[in-house]
Amino acid sequence: MPELAAPRLNRRAVVKGGLALGAAQLASPFVLTARAAEAVKIGFDNALTGPYAGPGKNELVGCQLAVDQINEKGGILGRKVELVVEDSTSGDAGVAVQKARKLIDSDKVDFLLGHLNSALALAMAQVSNEKGVLHIVPGGHTDAITGKTCHWNVFRVCNTTATEANAVAGALVKQYGKKYYYITPDYAFGHTLEAGMVKAIAALGGERVGGDLTPLGTVDFSSYLIKAQAANPDVIIFLIQGDDMLNALKQATQFGLQNKVHLAGAQQEMEPLEGLPPEARVGTWVMEWYWKQPGAPHVAEFVDAIKKRTGHVPTARTWFGFVSTWTCALAAAKANSLKALDMAKALQDFHLPPEIALGPNPAYYRAGQNQLISTLFVGDAQAKGEAPEDLFKVTKVVNGADVAGTLEESECKMIWPS
Amino acid sequence: MSQLVLFNVFNGLIVGAFYALMALGLSLILNLSGVINFAHGGFLALGAYFAYALIPFLGFWGALVVAPVLVAVLGLGVERVLIRPLYGADPLYGLLLTFGLAYILEDLTRLVWGAQSVPFQAPAALMTPLSSDYFFLTGYRLVMIGIVAAAVGGLFVVLNCTRLGTRIRAGTRDLETVSTLGVNVRILRSLNFGLGIYMAGLAGVLAAGLLGLSPTIGANLIMPSFVAIIVGGLGSLLGTLLGGLLIGVASGIAAVYVPSATEAVIYVMMGLVLLVRPRGLLGEEGRLH
Repeated sequence: MPELAAPRLNRRAVVKGGLALGAAQLASPFVLTARAAEAVKIGFDNALTGPYAGPGKNELVGCQLAVDQINEKGGILGRKVELVVEDSTSGDAGVAVQKARKLIDSDKVDFLLGHLNSALALAMAQVSNEKGVLHIVPGGHTDAITGKTCHWNVFRVCNTTATEANAVAGALVKQYGKKYYYITPDYAFGHTLEAGMVKAIAALGGERVGGDLTPLGTVDFSSYLIKAQAANPDVIIFLIQGDDMLNALKQATQFGLQNKVHLAGAQQEMEPLEGLPPEARVGTWVMEWYWKQPGAPHVAEFVDAIKKRTGHVPTARTWFGFVSTWTCALAAAKANSLKALDMAKALQDFHLPPEIALGPNPAYYRAGQNQLISTLFVGDAQAKGEAPEDLFKVTKVVNGADVAGTLEESECKMIWPS
Repeated sequence: MSQLVLFNVFNGLIVGAFYALMALGLSLILNLSGVINFAHGGFLALGAYFAYALIPFLGFWGALVVAPVLVAVLGLGVERVLIRPLYGADPLYGLLLTFGLAYILEDLTRLVWGAQSVPFQAPAALMTPLSSDYFFLTGYRLVMIGIVAAAVGGLFVVLNCTRLGTRIRAGTRDLETVSTLGVNVRILRSLNFGLGIYMAGLAGVLAAGLLGLSPTIGANLIMPSFVAIIVGGLGSLLGTLLGGLLIGVASGIAAVYVPSATEAVIYVMMGLVLLVRPRGLLGEEGRLH
């Protein structure tokens, strides 16, 4: 009978299988420990799904390029570098913290990277500080990360919201008038960014004639735009980000508001601009890094290397990831140690080499705050540039040191472990 | 101030009409099949992305016709394979299934078209305001209202003047009797599900012209349509239309007085309706029991 020819599952086979599986389970931790002794691990705990998946993935691409470059140059302290990637989701602080603990406790990472959501970055910073792991925040902007709740082990690559506001305010007041209406997302990031903008614009003689706090994830901005128009401002300031920014700009330009008042904002990024149809790419903004920097050293090589991987030019997010990962290698090299405290001390006032800084001004981690001071690019979004992905016309290059405020203003009181 | 309120009421009606279009599809499926289709937003997003992919070949109008049909065909497949085995079971099963399906559809669009938003372009001629004062009235929004009106009108004609419609309405009240009378209930449910998903696809294409197109577009739009159904009343398509318009207007008026509560106000409205008149404004008592 054909059935007899088929292998039969009997009790003995099941027991054997079970024993083999158990042995493999027991053996695997030893295998993992053996590997851990070889590679230096960088834990990436960032958004790969949800509304921030786009920028999160771009930060990851930057990290991966840096890891490959570091390994080509001999790794960290002669050891190979390995990136351990975890998806933290876009908005769930519980998941981000759980993944951070997993990376630190089970994977035994030497460095922690993340998060692009400010609230999640703050939550992760508490964990990394408790565990004493060097933590780089590539792209979470709220001031507190390197301000009120700064930690000796937490460094940040992107700018504070106050720095962004200071960078763009001058250009706006000089060119477009004194009356400002704000459309601001109703959460920590938006509140600090608006406060920063109002302060910076008031210092130059401009005033806030009105504004609305909009719930995160607002789909229809038409009612806010009707209100904004009725307040008769010179400029409508959009401080919303991501999908909210797309929705608002698309609707504002369909209403023809760009012909009546000036549209502007603080932080702008390539990710939303690429999602807008050409006619909606308008307004004055600040970018934290831009791929088209004629004459700036090493930028072209970086752009080419990323284009080879993704087919697209790098965004500020790609650069954040790239700088964050290189910071780990540079800190270890300077400290000649993988001890977080030694590395954090080595990074005080540490200047990035030009092939990592990729901008016209010096880029350095300000001592006593752990905040990277770099270059900001003020300009206008454009329907069509010289190259297919040239969506932003830079009108003013701002040295971060001029707009970052003082260390005292940051309100960071750094406490070092004794 | 009064002009501002008036503008926002008018604008709220436009936005509400759009919510109603989404909610009608949901309502159709819920009424006949008893399935709370959480994946409606996923189908909506697929409609938008299909149109985005088709525009280079068919233009916007061609895509507007074809994309919703493609989504409906996909919906028919999903109904056959996944939904059908759950008919007659506790509505919770259908809810859990479609809840999971919503995530799968969202990640599917992310896998194919990327996590980042894509530039969806509607005809430039429609994208300008018709008058300087009523700048919120663009050609595109007028076309959208026209399509919503046509869809709602068409749906009422189908439901009231055709044999299929009579059967759907009868099935909504008492499916067992309809079945005993020799109507093929399986086919009836399939067609009804396909029609509901078609409306999701149509809403998706229209939404992509107004909003940024990213994989989360459906998830962002789904909640207002659920609220529209609950406010308008389960079992009543007219109620769904009314519910959609009401939440649009409420949200518009909230923007004038309490701008940060535009989202909260529709849930407050839902809560009030549930407290005072649990069946909804035009709903029938005892649905979903």
